[in-house]
Amino acid sequence: MAAVGARARKPRPSGAERMILGRRLRVEGVLRFAFIGLFLLFLLGPLYWVFVTSIKPVADYQTVPPVWFPDSPTSIHFSAALNDLRGWTGLKNSAIVAGIVTVVSVLVGTAAAYSMARFRTGGKNLAFWVLSQRIMPPIAVVIPIFLIYRELDLIDNRFGLAALYVVFTLPFSIWMMYTYFRQMPVELEEAALVDGCTRWQALWKVAWPLAAPGIVSAAAFAFVFSWTEFLFALVLTSNEAVTVPVVISQFLAFQAAQFGESSALSLCAMVPALFLGFLVQKHLVRGLTLGAVQG
Amino acid sequence: MALGADATRRRLSQTASSWVDRHFRWLLVSPAVVLILALTIFPLGYAIWVAFVTYDFNIPGHAWRGIDNFKEVVTDPNARKAIATTAWLATAAVAIELVIGLLLALAMVRPFRGRRWLIPIFLLPLFMSPVIVGQFWALLLTEPFGPTNWLLGAISGSDVNIRWTTQTPWAYFSILLADAWQWTPFMFVILLAGLSAIPDDLYSAADLDGARPRQAFFFVTLPLLLPVMLVAVAFRVIDAAKIFDVIYVLTKGGPGTDTYTASYYLYEQGFQLFHLGRGTAGAWMFMILLSVVSYWLVRRLLKPVEA
Repeated sequence: MAAVGARARKPRPSGAERMILGRRLRVEGVLRFAFIGLFLLFLLGPLYWVFVTSIKPVADYQTVPPVWFPDSPTSIHFSAALNDLRGWTGLKNSAIVAGIVTVVSVLVGTAAAYSMARFRTGGKNLAFWVLSQRIMPPIAVVIPIFLIYRELDLIDNRFGLAALYVVFTLPFSIWMMYTYFRQMPVELEEAALVDGCTRWQALWKVAWPLAAPGIVSAAAFAFVFSWTEFLFALVLTSNEAVTVPVVISQFLAFQAAQFGESSALSLCAMVPALFLGFLVQKHLVRGLTLGAVQG
Repeated sequence: MALGADATRRRLSQTASSWVDRHFRWLLVSPAVVLILALTIFPLGYAIWVAFVTYDFNIPGHAWRGIDNFKEVVTDPNARKAIATTAWLATAAVAIELVIGLLLALAMVRPFRGRRWLIPIFLLPLFMSPVIVGQFWALLLTEPFGPTNWLLGAISGSDVNIRWTTQTPWAYFSILLADAWQWTPFMFVILLAGLSAIPDDLYSAADLDGARPRQAFFFVTLPLLLPVMLVAVAFRVIDAAKIFDVIYVLTKGGPGTDTYTASYYLYEQGFQLFHLGRGTAGAWMFMILLSVVSYWLVRRLLKPVEA
């Protein structure tokens, strides 16, 4: 977040003005930090409640007033969610699917982006077409995909799900890498070509390593998308390939709502995505806006 | 002899690599294009056929229906209500997120101790699954497990008995709450980047001209932030219009059909009632509607290409 960094902006009042202004700035300062504090509370409150729920014994569930600090924390919800309620299965499937998507999306996306950036392949039309994929509502694709996958026997199949995720992360990977390659000087690759490299070597050995930071964030975004996606997974998986979000969505649907279990699994499922999120913080704004805003 | 074979092989590999070199650009884009064609364009084309026939798991055969599927969706009061709900929920959510996000960005733009640690914390929700976020709020709001009513009661000093997810105005409120929790950080981080990019000179100049802080905000900050704000709002509107996960976890469209959104309605048509023909017809219309709305955004994103 270096770009969002330090910046001093303050009016420089002189003489008698300073006292009045000083007081106003102090009031503003109080308001400012009160607002930040309130938002922090709004943000962390739910997280704390989920954490407490995950270690609460069942007897503490519905007491009035609510139990904020359980006396005898327990880990049974974690073991029940992971072992008995398909938690591990979900985590494993999500990891496999997200892993495949990350690798394929980055490779395919980088290749296309390189071609579009260096040779202007397809020109504006191709770029427009790729970007418009970002707008498409998943619900419009998932019904026909469901029917097609049924014919191809790809329902409840990790690879079927991964293929779809690749396509939905491609606009992102392509655009991210496209902006990277556009900013990279052509001269290095030209020098490599003059030195007898093939085009392929110029991409693989010169451009690709230079684009590494962009590749890392494109990969992280693809992973986070696949790890958190719900609608496709809900429709296309049931047992074999079920992913974490689908598993979690079913916990509260049961008669005896499994509050602790669902909290426990949610916490487990959050870890990898948060980790990757921190990793790509510097490129976050550029990623979220497909390069329209340079963070 | 051996030399000849070697030379041939070399020539072959040279022609192969020069073929690769000549068609390099097309070889590189083709995997992406093929994948997108196979998994979005082809299904959407197939969906056109599905939308014009009877495609229903309860009815055998695929008889031609013309535009009847489309008519059924358009005349379905639930569909109309779902579109209206989607429109105003998305607008309300984005408006809330924009205001809070902007205030937060303004509060955070100047450095202070601990700011470096706060920003990553503020961004946490962006990396969570909307299902998990919806489920967080379900835990907080559902009676009798959630502490929300108790907290409100303790603050206000009287008994609060709100059924947050099953009572009409409150169900909307719960959805907005969950959406704002997850996506206010989105607005925040983009607007923060936008604010930080405004050069200091402009503020010094405004100061020299005798502008007061409020004037500096309205005549310097806001106009310069506007393009960034528009991009952020456009992205959020497009995604908010597709809202599904939170509804599925938090309200299941209820009470009744009050919190049906376009995506939830189409999901129900397709995968709970198995009216797949009608569902695809509706999905196509929804997609066209959304494309019209988002055309502007794509044009804006393409600007760097034209430059």
